[in-house]
Amino acid sequence: MKRRWAMVIDMDLCTGCGACVAACVAENNTPTVGESEAGKGRLMQWIRVVRYFRKEEHDETRAIFVATPCMHCEKAPCEIVCPVYATYHDEDDHVNAMVYNRCIGTRYCGNNCPYSVRVFNWWDYKREKPLDEQLNPDLTVRSRGVMEKCSYCIQRIRRGKETALSEGRPIRDGEVLPACAQTCPPGAIRFGDLDDPESAVSRMMKDPRRFRLMEHLGTEPSTVYLKKMRAPGR
Amino acid sequence: MLNRRGFLKIGGATAFAALFGGCERLPKTLVPFVIPPENYALGESLWYASVCRQCPAGCGIVVRNSEGRAKKIEGNPLHPVNRGKLCARGQAGLQALYHPERLGKPLKLDGPRGSGKFREIPWEEALRLLMTGLSSVRAEAPTALLMLTDPMRGHRNLVSARFMKAFGSPHRVAWDPFGQDAHLSANEAVYGVRDLPEHDLAGTRYLLSFSGDFLETGVSPVHFGHAYGRMRAARPTVRGKFVHFGPRLSMTAASADAFLPVAPGTEGYAALGIAHVMVREKLTPAAAAAGRLWNAGLKEFTPEAAGKKTGAPAADIEAVAREFGSNQPGLAMAGDAAASCTNGVFNLSAVGLLNLLAGNVGKPGGISFPDRLAAFASFGAEAKLLLPAAESGYPALRDAVERMGKGAFRMALLSGATNPAFTLPPSLKFEEALLKVPTIVSFASFLDETTSLSDLVLPTPTYLEEWGDDIAPAGHGGEAITLGQPVVAPFRDTRSMPDVLIAAAKELGGPAAAALPWGSFRECLDKAYAGMGIDLEESHKNGGIFSGKADAPRRAPKEGSPALPKAAEAAFAGDPARYPLVLHVYPSSALSDGRGANLPWLQELPDPIATAVWRNWVEVGPKTAAALGLSDGDGVTVSSPFGSLQAFVFLHPAIAEGVAAMPLGQGHSRYGKYAADRGGNPYALLPASVESATKAPARHSTRVSLVKTRMKGALVRTVHPEGQWLYENIL
Repeated sequence: MKRRWAMVIDMDLCTGCGACVAACVAENNTPTVGESEAGKGRLMQWIRVVRYFRKEEHDETRAIFVATPCMHCEKAPCEIVCPVYATYHDEDDHVNAMVYNRCIGTRYCGNNCPYSVRVFNWWDYKREKPLDEQLNPDLTVRSRGVMEKCSYCIQRIRRGKETALSEGRPIRDGEVLPACAQTCPPGAIRFGDLDDPESAVSRMMKDPRRFRLMEHLGTEPSTVYLKKMRAPGR
Repeated sequence: MLNRRGFLKIGGATAFAALFGGCERLPKTLVPFVIPPENYALGESLWYASVCRQCPAGCGIVVRNSEGRAKKIEGNPLHPVNRGKLCARGQAGLQALYHPERLGKPLKLDGPRGSGKFREIPWEEALRLLMTGLSSVRAEAPTALLMLTDPMRGHRNLVSARFMKAFGSPHRVAWDPFGQDAHLSANEAVYGVRDLPEHDLAGTRYLLSFSGDFLETGVSPVHFGHAYGRMRAARPTVRGKFVHFGPRLSMTAASADAFLPVAPGTEGYAALGIAHVMVREKLTPAAAAAGRLWNAGLKEFTPEAAGKKTGAPAADIEAVAREFGSNQPGLAMAGDAAASCTNGVFNLSAVGLLNLLAGNVGKPGGISFPDRLAAFASFGAEAKLLLPAAESGYPALRDAVERMGKGAFRMALLSGATNPAFTLPPSLKFEEALLKVPTIVSFASFLDETTSLSDLVLPTPTYLEEWGDDIAPAGHGGEAITLGQPVVAPFRDTRSMPDVLIAAAKELGGPAAAALPWGSFRECLDKAYAGMGIDLEESHKNGGIFSGKADAPRRAPKEGSPALPKAAEAAFAGDPARYPLVLHVYPSSALSDGRGANLPWLQELPDPIATAVWRNWVEVGPKTAAALGLSDGDGVTVSSPFGSLQAFVFLHPAIAEGVAAMPLGQGHSRYGKYAADRGGNPYALLPASVESATKAPARHSTRVSLVKTRMKGALVRTVHPEGQWLYENIL
């Protein structure tokens, strides 16, 4: 059951609300780091909503939100620099995956990622009891010295595959959703299988607004964007 | 490279963690298998449907329960308000449930009154104290009991109302700093219906927003977020256009196709300018009404006049009016900043007039007034207790504060998240007045500025641990009744407020016991809905009763005869020479009115525009900042005639000049360690002034000065202010 998972983020629909960030934090056992660590650029969130201010026609400033999870590049710059194969390309799901207990913390991958989506556990971030009761049992809590990043909610992909397998049917389009896509109020984040020509993401890939972040680098990201539109006139 | 089997094996390690999730050991001490045995699989979870109470929108949720613990909240796909979607605040409800500072035992004051020093006591003693107080008040002066809560809906509200009525006290106050008083009054004046309308955002072609930050805060942000997505993309050939007028480029304004900055409190003039053009150029189907309006004075409100008042170019107002008039169905909406000026009802009435002129009332893509309580006809007069008008309760609260000061109350029962000691302007001296009440009893999950003034605190379950029901104030046409159920066993030794009231009524006997004749709140709910002939088991599985068919929208009685709203200027306290800037305050998209400030997830959620975390800031435009000699990141003292605080400057490139803007929500002094020391409280800058027609709080009614001040630390932002992240660089 090989899949080519991909995410399409329609920037025309993204309102910048941050629901995806909170949903991701809740799903993926992401720690909170506190103000002083955040000030050192050590926020641990796996998806961030970057706000760009842009001057446009009429000399008006617009804010553009770019929700940025891991791009899950087909030619990932992070994979080739890992000395211990902790980050590798999963051939079955076409995701860029991590084996946490291989990671020795060189941070080469984070250094080589042009999208800055990788985050590093500088400390063992403690969850005060009983906040740890919330932790998702489907995935581990990462310890100090380990790199981590968006996994396209690999635990949900696995669960979807298992369910489909036990029911003896293929995975339906829209059955597997990462936490961010499931919660996104305007539905700006879509997720699905590119090998399925009927899937929503396959259809959205044909949209002329499609672009990839820093396409010129040749990383071939699986996370694809649709450009923001602006109606003409006033 | 790993094959699929190898990958599953690694994943199996996490299942091992799942199996031992209940152990004391942290998973980090566990060495995961690299190659686990074949038979390890992901653990199964249970999902329970309930209702979100992180804000008053009333979204439906489903909560994942794994081994007796709540793990994740999702939106309920069956629920018409949020359609399976959820906002950041809704996601963070888990942290309220498992918060380390949650109250687990009743607390009795152990120090001077108001000190916030408590000791834990057993429930029996706490209930005895409560009953002693209630019985003596009941026997001597029943009207000396005050109940001050946040706005409640559903049977919680019915139980509280019946309790107070049977007790014999009329003093039941529900305080909501973001009450919709001005909306209700304006709707009554314009449409003849004192209710919140349904905005069919998904079906509209042209959306005009006047400071309406409906995507981030407001009545129902997730509902509007979902509808916004549909407005833009759900129709094959139509992408609804969105134009926003307002004092600052908020998150919502950033989604607009055009953002036109206007001076605070002038939204009504912009709307009248648009109405003028629509009538002048015959862009309205309501020709007769338009003629009357024109002669009643609309001809004075030219786009040029509106431009002068608002600061928006007259040509833009004219162009927007033409587009709005010729792209129907369109929708005009107004939000909190327009409503909470001293001229709020004028602003909102003028905006409402645009919907009338466009002929969109009761039509798809426009606004309508459904009867959301149609299912409760058998409740008679009590039906409206299930969905009370979304008012602020400010007049009643001010009256109560005055009575407290005079010693009219002997006992106060407090509950709710709206935290009056934090959200009221300090000049009301709420804290002082409250402490004159001899006995203060709070129902609370956390100690905050208000509950820490109590003599007795009774711990309540969070919304994820109790029974309840809700009728959302917007987002459905009467087809949705939401049912809440505990998604986990109560995590602490708590009792819900309705349960305590029912037990207290039983002990008081007489009319109180007769008014609340149930054994528990759950029994009350079960009986009420069983009486309506509903399969409760099935409804709890679905998270409520969703008939799927909305009632025919009520038309507005006054549709044919609109009156021109009486123009009124917004008043701002403070001498412009001493306080040169107008203060614009807005509820933080993460912390809401301040209730979210104790949750680390929300504190660490970057603000959409400023991208700041863990602290608040003050926004000014580049020209204003230059005139004041301020640059981005400077520390300033923000002073109004009523108070002052310190904050870091955020240079906002798209904010009306002469305006300083601050998010509300930070600045807590007693709301636990996650909320402490996060900057000043902007509510403390506000005057006690009121909207002139409704007497609701007028937050946008003061001027401030900014003076450069040396401050420790810096504002932590995820997007660098110097602009190292250029949009061009990512393309």
